[in-house]
Amino acid sequence: MISPNISVLDGSLYFTVSLLFVFASFIGYFIFLFTGSKMISKISFVILIAGFIIQTAAFVIRWIYAYKIGIDTPPLVDLYDSMVFFAYVIEIGYIILRIFYDFDALGFIITFIASAALAFATFYPLATSAIEPTIPALQSYWLIYHIMTLFVAYGAFAASFGLGILYLIKTGKSKNKDIENTKQKKQNRFLSLLPESAVIEESIYKVISVGLVFLTAGIVIGAAWADSAWGGYWSWDPKETWSLITWIAYILFIHARFTKGWGGKKMAWIAVIGFAVVIFCYLGVDLIIPGLHSYATPSSTPIL
Amino acid sequence: MLSKLNKFISSVKLAVFLFITIAVLAMIGTFINQGDTIKQYKTIFSPAAYHVLYWLGFLNIYDSWYFIALTLLLIVNLIAASINMFPRTIKAVFGPYPSFQEVSEKKNPKAVYEAIETKKKPEELKEVIGKKFGEPLYEKISENSDKAELYYSRNSIFRFSPYIAHISVIIIIIGVLLNFKYGFRSYTNIKVGKKTNVTYLLKNNKPIKLPFTIRLDRYRTTYYSDGIPKAYISTISIIEEHIRILTKNIEVNHPLTYKGITIYQASYGHYKPDKYGILIVNLRHIKSFKKIIYASAGKYYNSKINNIKFMLIRVVRKGKMPYFPYIIKLNNKKILNFRVIRVKNNNFPLIIARYKNIGFIMTPQLKTYYYSGVEISKNTYVSVVWIGCIILVISLFFSFFFNHEETWVSLSGINDAKKTKIEIISIPKKKFNSFYKKFDKKISELKKYLH
Ligand code: HEM
Repeated sequence: MISPNISVLDGSLYFTVSLLFVFASFIGYFIFLFTGSKMISKISFVILIAGFIIQTAAFVIRWIYAYKIGIDTPPLVDLYDSMVFFAYVIEIGYIILRIFYDFDALGFIITFIASAALAFATFYPLATSAIEPTIPALQSYWLIYHIMTLFVAYGAFAASFGLGILYLIKTGKSKNKDIENTKQKKQNRFLSLLPESAVIEESIYKVISVGLVFLTAGIVIGAAWADSAWGGYWSWDPKETWSLITWIAYILFIHARFTKGWGGKKMAWIAVIGFAVVIFCYLGVDLIIPGLHSYATPSSTPIL
Repeated sequence: MLSKLNKFISSVKLAVFLFITIAVLAMIGTFINQGDTIKQYKTIFSPAAYHVLYWLGFLNIYDSWYFIALTLLLIVNLIAASINMFPRTIKAVFGPYPSFQEVSEKKNPKAVYEAIETKKKPEELKEVIGKKFGEPLYEKISENSDKAELYYSRNSIFRFSPYIAHISVIIIIIGVLLNFKYGFRSYTNIKVGKKTNVTYLLKNNKPIKLPFTIRLDRYRTTYYSDGIPKAYISTISIIEEHIRILTKNIEVNHPLTYKGITIYQASYGHYKPDKYGILIVNLRHIKSFKKIIYASAGKYYNSKINNIKFMLIRVVRKGKMPYFPYIIKLNNKKILNFRVIRVKNNNFPLIIARYKNIGFIMTPQLKTYYYSGVEISKNTYVSVVWIGCIILVISLFFSFFFNHEETWVSLSGINDAKKTKIEIISIPKKKFNSFYKKFDKKISELKKYLH
């Protein structure tokens, strides 16, 4: 257990507080789904923004604290920080999206993912919030650009996942509606809250485009970093390989949509499946294939 | 026949197949250790499984001929597709543009059509419509008596961005393949104080010779106050023809490049201590002769006293840990009947052996050799890869966010030129909902103005 004193100093307490806000916002959006009250969705949005501001403050506090205890790299490197940052990125993504589009219905998926990430960071025992000195391999100015770009990409893919699900709900249900007549129309309040499927479809494409640009940039920055630290820009290490697989999955998405004229439904499925690949790349690789690519000779200590 | 082949080679279907195959192979490679030695594989897999995997080529996927072949096929696919599309793109950007008539007959599923009748004169309308559809990049007017045609095209130049994205992918793959062919990646361990010019390829452990010699002058690990390693630092000298060229510290994230070859700090360690310090004393002249010899078991060392040689040998006692695992053996390979005195001194059992006037005292000193594991790479044509990458990121951005929009406007006089019929067809490259919304908005604004 960490003493509350430390958690104030290093900012982790404020992340926990922000979890409460984001979760409250999630509950608000959930209620909104059933009531359709614009008021509730607005309140939820405000609560989400408050949570986001608290997180921003927590990041600043944490970075200053890390700097004070002699750590030059920003607090982004371990599991705790990365989960928290993931939540942060998808929140900001949603907030921006919400300003441009009427996407209240997406709120409940986004806040769900964000609070899940925050809760995972807060309660998962292996993700401790203590700031540890950076191991030598990570002491590089590439680190921050690498992580930031990739997390913007991950956040965008999370949003596209949410949009994909909305699309599937919308199109799946509206078919039933056609068959079962207008009687159901009133009952399906939830459906009417969703934007038109054509709007969702376009935003899936655009959000994935943003993600793909950033994913490409993130992989390139990672390669440049590896070139200055690892012995070469590409080592086929599991994480690298999975990031390439993720990239290929989304390049496929772009091409299938564009040249084969695949309909929105298939695209929505790809957005959902693509995010599963992202999650595997982000968490699964570390949990399932630990340290496979080890070129170090026996008895030596690999330090990369 | 040829056109069928062309159609296949340039098809997106083939691209999808290649992408999926490459992704699946890459995936398999993350679950099966790549490029280990046969010995290492035999500890993981049964011989039968090993043979199957070997036969399938799954033990060295990323360097395998079929992986490279698939990549090359992807390049061919990409080039073929781009070449096939190119004439159409050129036409869309530079013309000749299709006429209103042609477009309306084609019935493009992405097209939107609107017709308005008004009393306003064509000259005035041209100006108004021009305002609505932004800066007319191109304007084609084919006028005959009471008919006019206008053509607007926005963002047409960005039609080239996918081509540039494709070219950049080709540049990257070419750079990677050149590096694969002319570069290498290898590792070697160097003991402190030793030098080497041999290094072992990562992919198959084959030794290769470097054009210079590397000496490890010093190795150290520095720590944070709580004991977590802060830095691994090797001091390395480059030696060419017995002349030291330069000396530099290398650390993780701070490699050294010399003559296009980069030396990276990769690991460190020490060999199992196998040399024991033995204090040799001349019992007749204790003051004049004292010497520590580091000896490993099974080898003769000269005691430098009467030219007597000795050897440490291991004592093996069944079922019991020996009190001290070594005894001393002298010249004639027989264990001599010398006196062994054991003294428990602190934690270390002291062994004293005596032969004639020579005393052998085991000291607690062990000789360990630290070494630094370095990766030595020749990464050539990297700049080709970087240039490709930068172009790729930029061109992806322009491909995604700039949508080519074309608009045809036909103005024709009806009812003996008392009225003008405006017909508008708009076609986006990408079927975005926002495009149609914008179109509707423009039309309703136009209608409002005309009434
Ligand atoms: C290897 C990585 C590849 C990348 C990064 C890439 C990138 C792109 C991008 C960004 C676009 C524009 C898509 C849009 O605006 O929505 C595009 C379009 C296209 N790509 Fe690729 N592509 C790749 C491979 C391929 C391959 C192997 C083929 C082979 C068939 C291909 C065929 C096409 C076609 C036909 C288009 C439509 C272009 C147009 O109509 O203007 N691409 N590509």
